[in-house]
Amino acid sequence: MADEPKGSRGSLQGIAMAVVIWAIVVLSSLYYVRYGVPELASDRGYLDSLYYVILGITGAAYILYQLALGYVIYRYRGDRPGAESSYWHESHKLELTWTIGTAAILIPIVFTGLIYWDRVRGPAPEDAVTVMAVGAQFQWDFHYPGADGEFGRFDPTLYAIDNQIGLDETDPAAADDWVLTNQLVIPVNRPTRILMRSKDVQHALFLPNFRVKQDLVPGMTTEVWFTPVKTGSYEVACAELCGLGHYRMRAFLEVMEEADYRQWLSDNAPAAVADAAEPAAEAPSASAE
Amino acid sequence: MEHEKQGFVSKYIFSFDHKMIGKQYFTLAMSMGFIGGILAVLIRLQLGFPSQPFPFLENLFPVGMASGIMTPEFYVSLFTMHGTIMVFFLLSLLPVSGFGNFLIPLQIGARDMAFPFLNMLSFWTVVPGAIIIIISFFVEGGAAASGWTAYPPLSAIRSAIPGSDLGQTLWLVGMIFFVASFTMGGLNFVVTILNLRTKGLRMMRMPLTTWAQFIVGILGLLSFPALAAGALLLTFDRSLGTSFFLPAGIFIGDTLMPHEGGTPLLWQHLFWFLGHPEVYIIMLPAMGFTSDILATFCRRPIFGYKSMVYAIWAIGTLSFLVWGHHMFVSGMSPFLGSLFVVTTLAIAIPSAVKAFNWLFTIARAKIQFTSASLFGLGVVSLFVTGGLTGIFLGTNATDIQLHDTYFVVGHFHFIMAGAGLFGAFGAVYYWYPKMFGRMLSERLGKIHFWITFVAYYAVFFPMHYLGVSGMMRRIYDPNVYEYLQPLQPVNLFITISAFVLFTGQLIFIYNYFASMRRGAPATSNPWNATGLEWSTPPHPGHGNWEGEIPPAHRWPYDYSEPGKKRDFTPQWEA
Repeated sequence: MADEPKGSRGSLQGIAMAVVIWAIVVLSSLYYVRYGVPELASDRGYLDSLYYVILGITGAAYILYQLALGYVIYRYRGDRPGAESSYWHESHKLELTWTIGTAAILIPIVFTGLIYWDRVRGPAPEDAVTVMAVGAQFQWDFHYPGADGEFGRFDPTLYAIDNQIGLDETDPAAADDWVLTNQLVIPVNRPTRILMRSKDVQHALFLPNFRVKQDLVPGMTTEVWFTPVKTGSYEVACAELCGLGHYRMRAFLEVMEEADYRQWLSDNAPAAVADAAEPAAEAPSASAE
Repeated sequence: MEHEKQGFVSKYIFSFDHKMIGKQYFTLAMSMGFIGGILAVLIRLQLGFPSQPFPFLENLFPVGMASGIMTPEFYVSLFTMHGTIMVFFLLSLLPVSGFGNFLIPLQIGARDMAFPFLNMLSFWTVVPGAIIIIISFFVEGGAAASGWTAYPPLSAIRSAIPGSDLGQTLWLVGMIFFVASFTMGGLNFVVTILNLRTKGLRMMRMPLTTWAQFIVGILGLLSFPALAAGALLLTFDRSLGTSFFLPAGIFIGDTLMPHEGGTPLLWQHLFWFLGHPEVYIIMLPAMGFTSDILATFCRRPIFGYKSMVYAIWAIGTLSFLVWGHHMFVSGMSPFLGSLFVVTTLAIAIPSAVKAFNWLFTIARAKIQFTSASLFGLGVVSLFVTGGLTGIFLGTNATDIQLHDTYFVVGHFHFIMAGAGLFGAFGAVYYWYPKMFGRMLSERLGKIHFWITFVAYYAVFFPMHYLGVSGMMRRIYDPNVYEYLQPLQPVNLFITISAFVLFTGQLIFIYNYFASMRRGAPATSNPWNATGLEWSTPPHPGHGNWEGEIPPAHRWPYDYSEPGKKRDFTPQWEA
């Protein structure tokens, strides 16, 4: 056509577009594999497997589609010799193919996801170590229930500098309770159940190495459970915006061998229990199952 | 149609003309987008150079950047307002309110929108909203600082963060203005498209842009009131002592709050009941623009027109059934979460239909590379990239790890912000001749495209690496965490790319304003396109067509029809 937009048939643009798209696909994919998920320390490896399966499928779709896009842009440049565009604009067969094809790829992902979700969100095993995480601007308090395995009552009117979690000490169940600030210690290879509540705004308990994330909602108790499978010290983060100090609401999670954990309890729990004006001698039994 | 001579005020300010109102929205949206962009640059400044002093910035932000170092509360306000401004005041106003108003009557063959006064009112309702949002930066405590999602209690209790004082109140008032404006607009869209189509323009002959605006009008009408209700209830909680979103026992700043009985999750449901359709309110027009632009510059009919229309319907309908995928780890019932996985991933099907139809439109084409078509091709690329990463997030099991990380930030900047923005850019390059009777500079347009396309990938793709590595969003300084420290080079790279991306947009702004006077005069159909809008004079006046409104004899995609002399047959030709 004589009156086509000026310069619009320049092959440079089409070739450049194809090359740039191809370059983006190659570079973005090559770099992607350099950044892996944080080292796994829990039994939730199956979530990682699902992540890698989806990565494989979407990665292949990404690469193939963008390569094809670059190719058709290159191939059907307006200034190619003998350029002719086709009026063909409908094919029920093709359209049905990619509609059903997409659904067929998604259905297994959906079902696998739902099965894993069920596993993650199902009830915690009976023998789980239970801790209550109390989130506040901007610190984590981990409330251990002590030997009786029962959390003492809390009362919001009792929040104070020396009673961060508002524990009601007149409650008999509170007698052997104790609290760690910004530190959580749990034994390896035993399920851990973390109950959560917030003192003020929403927070989210994020354990990057354990594939655990759960919001803390004021007025509700939320929970997660998982089994740590590797000992070591890990960072705990807040993942829900909670105020100006959100970025520094950090804690540590220590995973210990069962024996070390018991030793640690007898070394450390008594002091905490002593603070609660309880005989230290009872503390070691906290580790008994 | 007769029109009295118009004075300056009735022509440029309180205009009833849908085209002028559209242009007013453009000016407002671009100004807001420019501010939103500056906020993004400041956010990236902090993440690229955490807590380093930039003394010259102290003059601009004496409180937020005292001695040149950004305070955490200022940082939180920055990303809160960046999100609010970009999502509502740029990405909703430009493609929907701007192009919707400008294009619907032109594309359906109407002299104006059904309710011109309501149209004017809708614009002058959103202006105070925008002004209030901007003013909130300068009040005691600074702008709102609870994220663009404004989750209570952070947003509800004044002492929770400095921005939750007056700043948050102004945010809520601004949003209520916005919602009022947007619902008026949506009503106008739906009524206009249903009633004012020219003779012969059956629904299934409408351009996909108009189809998208039609569905968007419905989505806006049904979803925005949920935000208005939420914002009103939150205002009550903040100012009248009610407890819709606040339970008993909240303890902030050594004070036990008097509220009891509410739940923060209620807000999340109300917010995301708007929030997710809102994503498609932004996306659908961009998909429509892309379809129209690609057909024109591929000189080929859009592939699978019918399935494109069905896909718009499917996406629009499903968009109301997926809001819970923002709440998988919120404390919402896990059973409900499972339900939302199914509906969410179902959206991938109509989305894939669109992606393949575009690919097959480009195949067997004779592509003309204009700025508009380059941006259209850009949309296709960004849409697929962003759509695929959505599968990780829509699957609740994998969302656990990725939720609230930079993976999410990367994802929505591709699918919603990126495709939405590229679609809007393409539309401006494409319809500018009809808007101002002049052509934009193609040379500047192409420079703008190349900088934007490459820089966009450079900014937002690496965010997926950050997210996979576990970097949370909304954190002022990731280096507080040992495991995030090795990611600093990635953050620096993103920051530098973001500066380039921002600078590239200045070219566009210059081109947009300079071409109004200096651009080459446009003919009435400069792209040899087929839509009804191209049958109007180069710079149509109030009433659009000087004589009779042309009837529609065909669909708007008759390009390269075999046996025809020209490679296009306009809709208005028998």
